[in-house]
Amino acid sequence: MQASAARKMTPEGWLEPPPLPHHYETEENHKNALRFGMWLFLGTEVLLFAGIFVGYFVFRSYFPEAFEQAGRHLSLFWGTANTLVLLTSSFTVATAHYFAEHGKNRNAFWLLMASVVMGAMFLCIKGIEYHDKFEEFALPGKFFHFNEITAPGGPIFYVVYFFATGLHALHVIVGMSLLTWVAVRCWRKEFSPQYYAPVENAGLYWHLVDLVWIFLYPLLYLV
Amino acid sequence: MASTSSAAGAPAHSHGFGPGKLFLNWFILVCLTFSTFGVSKIEMPVNYHLAAAICIAVVKLTLVVLFFMHLWWGEGINRVVFLTSFVFLLVLMFFVMADVGTRFKLSNSRIPPLPQVDQRMMPTGMPPGMGSLPQGHPHAPGQSSGKAGEQ
Repeated sequence: MQASAARKMTPEGWLEPPPLPHHYETEENHKNALRFGMWLFLGTEVLLFAGIFVGYFVFRSYFPEAFEQAGRHLSLFWGTANTLVLLTSSFTVATAHYFAEHGKNRNAFWLLMASVVMGAMFLCIKGIEYHDKFEEFALPGKFFHFNEITAPGGPIFYVVYFFATGLHALHVIVGMSLLTWVAVRCWRKEFSPQYYAPVENAGLYWHLVDLVWIFLYPLLYLV
Repeated sequence: MASTSSAAGAPAHSHGFGPGKLFLNWFILVCLTFSTFGVSKIEMPVNYHLAAAICIAVVKLTLVVLFFMHLWWGEGINRVVFLTSFVFLLVLMFFVMADVGTRFKLSNSRIPPLPQVDQRMMPTGMPPGMGSLPQGHPHAPGQSSGKAGEQ
């Protein structure tokens, strides 16, 4: 924070970029390293969710009827609404990245805040769905007392459902925090064509959250 | 670098779509979301549904990764990293599913739970007339047939 306070405003209307760390030869070199690090991290995130998706397919192959029955009991309306909300937030984040890269910090700020609001909408909708599941005791493991799923394996479906969507919701919360952080920095006009890596990397994280939902939505709600 | 880029307000190495094309990408993604919803309403076997849903999801993933996440313009190494993580996902998925798919069916998944038995109804000792436990297992090979022959 002190570093940004010490940085001067350029005539173009953004703060001059932070000094290049000494172990990088060029700005481009620094930018590529930051981006590469983020992609490596996203690779590990894919592998984290890989375990959940493999679990889904294994239990689905054991209890196909329960998964079909339980899938029909999820709210298609809210699931589809959430998909649209997340896709739209991905669009606003991608556009914010474009504006930050072009030094238009205020535009980027508003788009990032819109994305955070959409993230909050996603969580509220998820909360409504969780509330419904708790009301009907459609819950994991021994807490399952939902008579409308007659096939064996109902409790297992809800273990997968709550674990997958819960871990995803945790990522949404982390993503919202990251986006808020870069939005504040946009408000301070910290980003410029020379320095916009935080917006890009926070955006990449948000897109990954969207990607996970792109697969969870059809597998849980539609099939 | 700053002097060349600041005049037009564009970065020195501008890559990626502008807002218009990003909006188009979003629109295609929304259409694909509705198409996956529509396909799920068509009457067909559940495995076809699964395949169709995954195919559409893969198309959506490709659009997001290439254009929202800029991998279309990205450095080769980032593409390698991301693709490798998906290859590892497929390796994990393939071997686990090959194992699960070639096993016998879970034998206990369809059996209803055993009825609760009142413990007071359980026998507490030997039936009347039988003073003590018989020696040895009655159906043990050789032993039971030998006893039957003596009687």
